Amino acid sequence: MTQVPLEPVAIRASGIHASLGGVAVLHGIDLALPRGRWTSVVGPNGAGKSTLLKALAQLIPHQGTVELFGQPMTTFPARLRAQRLAWLGQNEASGDDLSVWDVAMLGRLPHQAWLAAPSLADHRAVQDALRATQAWDWRDRPLGQLSGGERQRVLLARALAVQADVLLMDEPLANLDPPHQADWLQVVRGLLAQGRTVVSVLHEISFALHADTLLIVAQGKVLHHGACADALTHRRLEQVFDQRIAIVPVAGQWVALARTGGAGDLPPGMAP
Amino acid sequence: MNAVALVQRRRRQQARVVIACLVSGSVLLLLLGIAIGSTGLENLWAAGDDAVSLQIIRDIRAPRAIGAWLAGALLGLAGAIAQGLFRNPLADPYLLGSASGASFGVGVALVLMGSTPYATDWLARLGLTTAAFVGAVAAVLLTLLLARGVQHTLRLLLAGVVVGVVLGALGSLVMMMQPEVMLSMQSFMLGSTGFIGWAACGLMAVAWCACAAPALALSRVLDGLSLGEATATSLGLPLPRMRAALVAALALATGAAVAQTGLIAFVGLAAPHLVRSLIRGTHRMFLFAASLMGGVLLLAADTLARWLIAPQELPVGVLTAVLGGGYLLWLMNQRGEPRRGT
Amino acid sequence: MLDNKVYPDERLALARFLPLLLVSVLLSWCPSVHALEIIDDRGVRVVLAQPPQRIVSVLPSLSETVCALGQCARLVGVDRYSNFPAQVRSLPKVGGGLDPNVEAIVALRPDLVLLAASSPAAARLESLGLKVVALEPKRHADAQRVMLQLGQLLGVPDAAKLWAVIEAEVDAAVRLVPAAARSKRIYFEVNSGPYAASTESFIGETLARLGVANIVPGEMGPFPRINPEFVVRADPDLIMVGDSNFAGMQQRPGWAHMQAIAQGRVCVFPPDVSDVMVRPGPRMGEAARAMAGCLGKHLR
Repeated sequence: MTQVPLEPVAIRASGIHASLGGVAVLHGIDLALPRGRWTSVVGPNGAGKSTLLKALAQLIPHQGTVELFGQPMTTFPARLRAQRLAWLGQNEASGDDLSVWDVAMLGRLPHQAWLAAPSLADHRAVQDALRATQAWDWRDRPLGQLSGGERQRVLLARALAVQADVLLMDEPLANLDPPHQADWLQVVRGLLAQGRTVVSVLHEISFALHADTLLIVAQGKVLHHGACADALTHRRLEQVFDQRIAIVPVAGQWVALARTGGAGDLPPGMAP
Repeated sequence: MNAVALVQRRRRQQARVVIACLVSGSVLLLLLGIAIGSTGLENLWAAGDDAVSLQIIRDIRAPRAIGAWLAGALLGLAGAIAQGLFRNPLADPYLLGSASGASFGVGVALVLMGSTPYATDWLARLGLTTAAFVGAVAAVLLTLLLARGVQHTLRLLLAGVVVGVVLGALGSLVMMMQPEVMLSMQSFMLGSTGFIGWAACGLMAVAWCACAAPALALSRVLDGLSLGEATATSLGLPLPRMRAALVAALALATGAAVAQTGLIAFVGLAAPHLVRSLIRGTHRMFLFAASLMGGVLLLAADTLARWLIAPQELPVGVLTAVLGGGYLLWLMNQRGEPRRGT
Repeated sequence: MLDNKVYPDERLALARFLPLLLVSVLLSWCPSVHALEIIDDRGVRVVLAQPPQRIVSVLPSLSETVCALGQCARLVGVDRYSNFPAQVRSLPKVGGGLDPNVEAIVALRPDLVLLAASSPAAARLESLGLKVVALEPKRHADAQRVMLQLGQLLGVPDAAKLWAVIEAEVDAAVRLVPAAARSKRIYFEVNSGPYAASTESFIGETLARLGVANIVPGEMGPFPRINPEFVVRADPDLIMVGDSNFAGMQQRPGWAHMQAIAQGRVCVFPPDVSDVMVRPGPRMGEAARAMAGCLGKHLR
């Protein structure tokens, strides 16, 4: 169980304002994401979750400051920042002609000297990443020949190959079938065990509730930041979704069920 | 680790085989190109005794064949850079307006300097090549400005077409001020490998080295870009600087080719696609192979142009359009097949 | 110059300088006794040690001039458009004016190449060591000068006679023009575009000699590309055009109502006559005759 940010902070953001296409999306976000923990970012569609992640990763211009392990991001040289912080986007373009191996190897770019061939460490990191996402067997296949779910696993492997201290992932479970979603959970747990920090935007609330802390974002503002096991967090979550969901414990996990009518249609024994 | 090494070795081998084929193909075509003249295929050894034949081989056919290969290599490289930089298989020195910019630069230089596009001495060719480079850079920058970045490929291609047409029209307008220039420029623009001398070859060789080096060094950037701009930035690649360097390489390659041979279409578009169907992998081998393929394509077109109806010559642009365009049609047919769904 | 009265001290000066003068004349004369020098239309000075024996001509009017000077035998290659006189047709073809085949020209081992000033091959051929003379007559005076220059280069002493014959033919043609045709307004279309012959061109000069007016003024240049509307507005009395360009002329917007088209006052020249009309060569007299015939037919 966790308490919220008294531990060393991986990412601290203050006063983040950002716009997309002239429209203000983030309105003054302050947050402190704990090191070595997994934070899930949830919220209704259009809340600004992806924008927030991009702002934290310094991929879009924004107002306000972001600190990585206590040091302002702007003071990091791009290469060093890339080594310590990896970002996985949603619906990004993919090089269809590159093989799976080549795509995963691109994750090692921040570590490679300019014109050098991949080193032993690079090979090992790519191999580990591909095995972790069960993409090792098709390392020779071009990306264009893979299905959506397979491609997503390769892109995940690319992010894992960076071996960064902080991973920001936007909808990492897109297109994945349930077995591979479960695999991804294992991967994240493994990363946490290594002391890395994971931040993921997830619209699958049930998966998001597996995290250590939950960041609820709505309309460009942080509504709540608390432990996933907290009852308060659950209530705020139900609130932000207009009471259309109910957080209930099932077999030792917290699960979000959709409410189709009033509160009366919950199965017996599952009162909140 | 052994499995990995095997994979790498196999893929490198495949790329090496393709490149070896392209190199040997180039050498064969060069020999063929030097042997084919206004009387069709000739015996090179028999020509050894005759002074005029020797001069023809040494001073006309050799620079022409080598020049055709070099111009094709430059255009193939430019096309591969453009396709990687703009992540669009239709990107081409012509579709981005850079070729029109280069010919506009040549036209303006001629009006100001008053020489002919067919001048053979070093200095004149250098001046024209520089003017072409400046024109090509200006055109690409204008295209990027109009398209407001490379995100929207449709906007990018439209902007490129607009810039190309406008610069072509402006070029004609400028040349109308000096009608003597206009006549020679019009025939120059049709695109011909027939007037390439050793100075032009030397210039193109220098330009190729100057473009290939940064392009190969920056091939990793192109790989990163294939995953999208945001991902490439997150991987720590300094995109603005590297894009500027790649645009400069693209413009220099286009300008150098256009300043010596005029406008020859399709080579920059077809060469990368031809290579893509043979080599799969990162941009490092791909850029080099696309350049070689461009050289082979233009050299083959030039050789055929001189051979098919010898002693008459077909315009080389017709043959590149037939060879390149025919291939593209076939390619479109292939891509029409549905892919595996999610 | 010296006049009849030469003063004593001048005579002395002359006597002192005379041997020097003689020696220098002899020295300059001996090695270059056959030195032929010409400044061509590009301003380039070309020097030939002796009259050329193997000539390649890439401009039809120059081919015709060489033959008219009686030196047809010296031609070893021509462009694909040269077709007069008939013996030229059997010569090897080296491409066209705008796309000459450099290798074919060099393979013929010429000691002189004649081409237009705007030809793309001039610089290339010179860099390969060939002697290149670029001549592109635009007006009658140019044509006359070119004939004299070629006569000098080829060692033909009576080249001036050629021009005299042309002048005589033009004068004869002038006499064929009926009085009613004088000062009528003519439009001569050279090529579809439309490109017209203005008063500044050799065609325009011939028309002026024949006593008719040209609707296209000289300020536009010798062969300007004009707006078809201009012709409609000017409403010429007679139109002269080549056979291949006449197709579609009546369909041009507004043209069907012009008096020349409506009343059929259009001279359509067959291809061989068109060739004669557009070449500023030795057959300009024949061109004048054809024009006069046309004027006589329609403007009686």
